[in-house]
Amino acid sequence: MSVIQELSRGKQGVSARRKGDGRWALLFLAPWFVGLALITAGPMGASLWLSFTDYDLLSAPQWVGLENYTRMFDDPRFLKSLGVTFTYVFVSVPLQLAAALGLALLLDKGLRGLALYRSVYYLPSLLGGSVAIAILWRQIFGADGLVNQVLAIFGVEGQGWVSHPDYALGTLMALNVWTFGAPMVIFLAGLRQIPQMYYEAAAIDGASRWRQFRSITVPLLTPIIFFNLVLQLIEAFQSFTRAFVVSGGNGGPSDSTLLYTLYLYLKGFGSLDMGYASAMAWFLLLIIGGMTVVNFLASKYWVFYDD
Amino acid sequence: MSTTGNRPTSRRGKRLAGSAAGIAAVALTLAACGGGDSGIGGGGDDAPAAAEECPCEIRFAWWGSDSRHEATQQIIDAFEAENPDITVVPDFTDWDGYWDKLATSVAAGDTPDVITQEERYISDYSTKNVLADLGTLDIDTSKVDDGVLAGGQIEGTQYGIPTGINAYALVADPELFADAGVDVPDDTTWTWEDYVTTANAVADGSGDKVWGTQDYGFNEAGLNVMARQRGETLFTPEGELGVSEQTVADFFQVSLDLVEGGGQPDAARTVEYQAAGPEGGLLGTNKGAMGVWWTNQLGALSDSSGHELELLRLPGESEGERTGMYYKPAMFYSVSADTQYPESSAKFVDFLLNSEEAAKIMLTDRGLPANTDVREAILDDLSPTDQKVADFMADIEDEIVDNPSVPPHGSAELADIMERINTEVLFERITPDEAATQFIDEVNAAIAG
Repeated sequence: MSVIQELSRGKQGVSARRKGDGRWALLFLAPWFVGLALITAGPMGASLWLSFTDYDLLSAPQWVGLENYTRMFDDPRFLKSLGVTFTYVFVSVPLQLAAALGLALLLDKGLRGLALYRSVYYLPSLLGGSVAIAILWRQIFGADGLVNQVLAIFGVEGQGWVSHPDYALGTLMALNVWTFGAPMVIFLAGLRQIPQMYYEAAAIDGASRWRQFRSITVPLLTPIIFFNLVLQLIEAFQSFTRAFVVSGGNGGPSDSTLLYTLYLYLKGFGSLDMGYASAMAWFLLLIIGGMTVVNFLASKYWVFYDD
Repeated sequence: MSTTGNRPTSRRGKRLAGSAAGIAAVALTLAACGGGDSGIGGGGDDAPAAAEECPCEIRFAWWGSDSRHEATQQIIDAFEAENPDITVVPDFTDWDGYWDKLATSVAAGDTPDVITQEERYISDYSTKNVLADLGTLDIDTSKVDDGVLAGGQIEGTQYGIPTGINAYALVADPELFADAGVDVPDDTTWTWEDYVTTANAVADGSGDKVWGTQDYGFNEAGLNVMARQRGETLFTPEGELGVSEQTVADFFQVSLDLVEGGGQPDAARTVEYQAAGPEGGLLGTNKGAMGVWWTNQLGALSDSSGHELELLRLPGESEGERTGMYYKPAMFYSVSADTQYPESSAKFVDFLLNSEEAAKIMLTDRGLPANTDVREAILDDLSPTDQKVADFMADIEDEIVDNPSVPPHGSAELADIMERINTEVLFERITPDEAATQFIDEVNAAIAG
């Protein structure tokens, strides 16, 4: 009896302490919750409401219903910015992932000084979103910049890449491809997870390196590819700094680098059309959300989970 | 911009003093905010005539470079020395951040008491009742030329007082002209055609080592001058577009003629030089003999080129039915319609506008002073470059027929529209005629919205 009592008292003691822990946990989580409520959820709610209003920041918002959303499709610059953004995303993200995977495969071979290489290739990812790199990019791809100086050695006369409407978006995509470090590191980790015995078995069966890559590496890596794809697509849709700095803030030359978020900013703060800008933000959320859903649905057909 | 370089040696000390004052001021603001916000919604509406309870604190917002921030802080110090019961809190950023910040401050109900405004934005802010009618405040504007003062009026109400004036002028580099063996043209008689042939001749004469001129199509001011020479105007006083398609097409055609004749760089380079500002443009880098700039940019252009640059009238002043050059208010001083301290704010604006002491610190950094007495008083203190600007402005004074009225609500988008259409023209994606139609459609849409 006394043993049981002893036990139950012990139990009570534990559960009392647990309760106390829960309160402490809430306390420590509070800054995050407050931040979520005030800095993320609050403004999001406000922007949803503003997206149904005509709001110029200087006077009170006026309810206009869905007008901002319907107006978008009559706005040639909006459609242009959609076109620019889709081109940017669907060209640069696959290239970026290919570069990341290629480099990861090379580094996985166990080079000497691997840690150094990994850091060096990761560096662009840390710097790539920065203003400094965007300015550097302007210089490198300028009419008298590094790229053209190199081309001149081979007798090719280059263009002013960033200032030509046909090529400016290309330089931005190159910048995005160049920041392949983050997916590369994830690919490297993924490659390490693939058991060596598969390769050994395949080698004994006489499979070539290419065959091993296609039949072992790629299938076992598909979850990682999928993860990187989803993440990088979402990130690419939201690119802003690069286009802002490289184009001098207006998406030029002649709107060729007018990424979606840049146009959103120009509408909100340039034309003081904050209602329209809010509607654009929510429409972008729909695009990204829709695309991610499609991605997950499609993943059933090509992503292979080992376990 | 041009005031750098002739600053007293105790710069560091002053800056320290300035920032100490700034910190003290911020601390005071915080204290005031904590004290209670009853004053904001309370009596501000209908009793501006009653004496204000001071000590009080006003916030002055402006944009600019470091040299302007230092000079403005000195002016604030001087004002505070004269008015010990008024504290002026500085609130400054660079140009790009200024309008984002101002719009959000207004939205948050935290409008600065004294606001620096600009031509392209003042209509937006005044029609939204953000700015006070300065006519009801005690600011002495008797020393400002009526035509210049009118630049800050919208439908007869004075929403801004010009800080100073600039003119849009052609800047020429006589050294590069001499190298190319071409005479600097007589600017009182030259035509737009002369402009093209001169620029092409400079490029030719230099053996294509330098270009004749930098493209002018990114700035609507040049279009306005050309329109005015033809008896049109970019915006009518009623706030409508007043320029004909023909004029817009002719304006863009000049650029194409220059590219074709070798007088100006190819489209891609032009876009780059445009983005590089005065210092990185053709004149600033000694790669071109001409360019169209605001007169207050002469200092920056001269400094970076290292050459003695000249100011010329724009072409066509004697070609059309009248002259097109004009004085543009460099910026405006405005007062918030919601300020708790309209009298103190007015006193500060009056000091900025009329005090010789303030003008001697500011010199031409906010344009050649709008107050003509003050302008006289500082002439001897000006650098040779600024004196050149003052002389030029005096020269054209009698030729100016009138100054354009404030551009309408929505005109803030004009700069973007110009830039986009000009780029399309330069890359020959659209013809000047198509550009004219597009320009008129887009500007009409912008000012209608």
